[in-house]
Amino acid sequence: MSILSLQGISKRYGAIQALSGVSFDVPPGSVFGVLGPNGSGKTTLLGIVTDVLKADKGSFQLFGKTATAAERRKIGTLLETPNFYHYLSAWKNLEISASIKQRGKDDIERVLRICGLYDRRDNAFKTYSLGMKQRLAIAAALLGDPDVLILDEPTNGLDPAGIAEVRALIHDMAKAGKTIILASHLLDEVEKVCTHVAILQKGNLLLSGPVNEVIQRTDFVELAAGNNEELVRLMLQYPGCSSATIANGKVIASFTANPDPAAINGWCANHGIWLKHLQLRKKSLETAFLEITHTAAS
Amino acid sequence: MKQIILAEWLKLKYYRTFWVILILSVIIPIAGNYTVAEIFSSKDLKQAQFLLGGPFSFPDVWQTVACVSSFVSGLYGILLIVIVTNEYNFRTNRQNIIDGWERKDFVFAKLFWVMKLAVLSLVVVAIVGALLGMAYGSKSFTFEGFNFVFYYFLQVVVQLIIALLIAVFVSRPGLSIVIYFAYNMMIEQTLVTILKRSVGAIGGLLPLQAGDELLPFPGTKMLAQSMPGGTTTYDTYVYLIAMVVYITLGIWLVFRKVTRTDL
Repeated sequence: MSILSLQGISKRYGAIQALSGVSFDVPPGSVFGVLGPNGSGKTTLLGIVTDVLKADKGSFQLFGKTATAAERRKIGTLLETPNFYHYLSAWKNLEISASIKQRGKDDIERVLRICGLYDRRDNAFKTYSLGMKQRLAIAAALLGDPDVLILDEPTNGLDPAGIAEVRALIHDMAKAGKTIILASHLLDEVEKVCTHVAILQKGNLLLSGPVNEVIQRTDFVELAAGNNEELVRLMLQYPGCSSATIANGKVIASFTANPDPAAINGWCANHGIWLKHLQLRKKSLETAFLEITHTAAS
Repeated sequence: MKQIILAEWLKLKYYRTFWVILILSVIIPIAGNYTVAEIFSSKDLKQAQFLLGGPFSFPDVWQTVACVSSFVSGLYGILLIVIVTNEYNFRTNRQNIIDGWERKDFVFAKLFWVMKLAVLSLVVVAIVGALLGMAYGSKSFTFEGFNFVFYYFLQVVVQLIIALLIAVFVSRPGLSIVIYFAYNMMIEQTLVTILKRSVGAIGGLLPLQAGDELLPFPGTKMLAQSMPGGTTTYDTYVYLIAMVVYITLGIWLVFRKVTRTDL
C-alpha cells in the first residue's frame, strides 16, 4: 500500500496551469524528493495533499484511503512558511498543535529539544528569528512522532549548522523507517537524503521513481598528468571511454559502463603516462536534473 | 467538539487584545445603561419618565436595557473579527487544517465564538436589567417583558454573523473592521431610510434593523405610530423570521466559502 497515491491531479490559477495531470505513488519507508525549480508546482501539490488547496481535477489517497482529517493527523507537515500565533510562546503554540492533532502535551519537550528551542520555549513566536521559526515548524511536524512527514523546503532560513542538523534529522528518521516526502529546489539537499524522486517542471511531472533508476548518473573519472593533451588522446583509446575533455586543468573522462580506477591507472602506466591525480566521481543530481529539465523544455 | 473548544481556548486565553476588547464589550453596555438610568432618575427628566411609563421599572426595564445595549453591541462583532482575521493574518487557518481539522471544524470553532459572545451579551443584559430594575424601578421584579432580552440576543447573533461573514470574505483585520463599522453605523441605516421612504415597511427587514424594530425605547413606538404619517410595522414574528433567515444564510455562506475555496 502506498503512503500517498496521486491520480491525475490538475490545478489552475487563472491563466497559469500550476499542475497538469500529476500522478505518482510514494512507497512506505521512502525518502521521496519532489523536485522542481521555483514555480514548478511542488508546494501546490503538497497544498492539495494537505487540503489547504482544492484540485480542479484528479484524486489522491493517503494510507490507501480517501484523505480526511484523520489521515492528516497521522502526518507531520511543514508547508511553506511556519504558521503560528505570533503572541504565543513556542510551548503554547505546540500545545495548540498537539490539541488539533489529538495528541498529548507530553511530546512537546522532546521535539523542542530536538530542534534546539527548549531554552527559548517561553519566548513569544514574534521574537524568533527566521531560522528559529523554521525550527519551530519542524518541531510541530515532529510532534507525536508521526510515521510520515511532509517537509516543504525544510532548510529555508536555516544557517549552515541548522541545515546540517535538519539533514541529519531526516537521515535518522529515514533510518527509523519513516516515510518522508521532501519538496525542495536545493538538489544538493535532496541528493544527500532521497531514495525516490519526482521531478516537476511548470506543473508537468517529468519523471518519478527510485532515484538510481529514473536518473541516469553514470560515474566519471577525473584525471591529471604532466601532459593532459597526451592523456586525453590515451583515454579516448581506453575501452568503454565515451569522451575525454580538459576542464580546469583536469581531464574529465566519461564511460559507457562504471569505470574501474585501478584498471585506468594501470592502463595509463603501461602506456607511459604517470597520473598525478585520479578520482572517481558521480554526476551530480543537479547536472542530471538540469539535463532532464532542459531536454523537457526543448 | 470538546477538542475544538479546547484548541480555541488555548489560542486566546493568553491574548491580551482579546481580554481588553471582551472586558470593554461587557463594561460599555453596563456603563451606558447606568448612565441612562441616572439621567432618567434626575429631576429634569421625571416628566419624561412619566410620559414613557417608567422605563427602568419592571417590566419595561428589560426593553429599555435591551434597547440601550443594542447601540453598543457592535463591540462583540469587532472582537469576533479580531479572532477570525488573526487566523488569516497568521495563516493559522491553513495550519489548523494541515494539523488535522476538517475545514468545517474551523467554521464550527468560530461559530462557537458567535454563540459564546451572544450568550455572554444576553447574560450581561439580563443581569444589568435585573439590577437596574431593582435599583431605579418602582415595581417588583418580574420576567414579564423578558422577550425583549431574547430579541436583543437574536440581534447580537445577527450582528456577529455579519462580522463573521466580513472577516471570512475580507480576511484582512483593518479592512474588515472598517467595513463592519461602516455597515453598522451608516450603510444599513441609509438603506433602511431609502427603502422605508420609497417602498415602505420592508426597509425594516434589513438585518440589523429587524432587531431595532423590535427594540424601540419603551413608549416611543406608540408615540411614533400615533403621530400623523407615523411608521407602519410588521408583526413581531416577521422580524424574528427575518433574523433567523439572515443567521441561516450567513452561516451557509461562511461554510460555502471556507469549505470550497483555497486557503
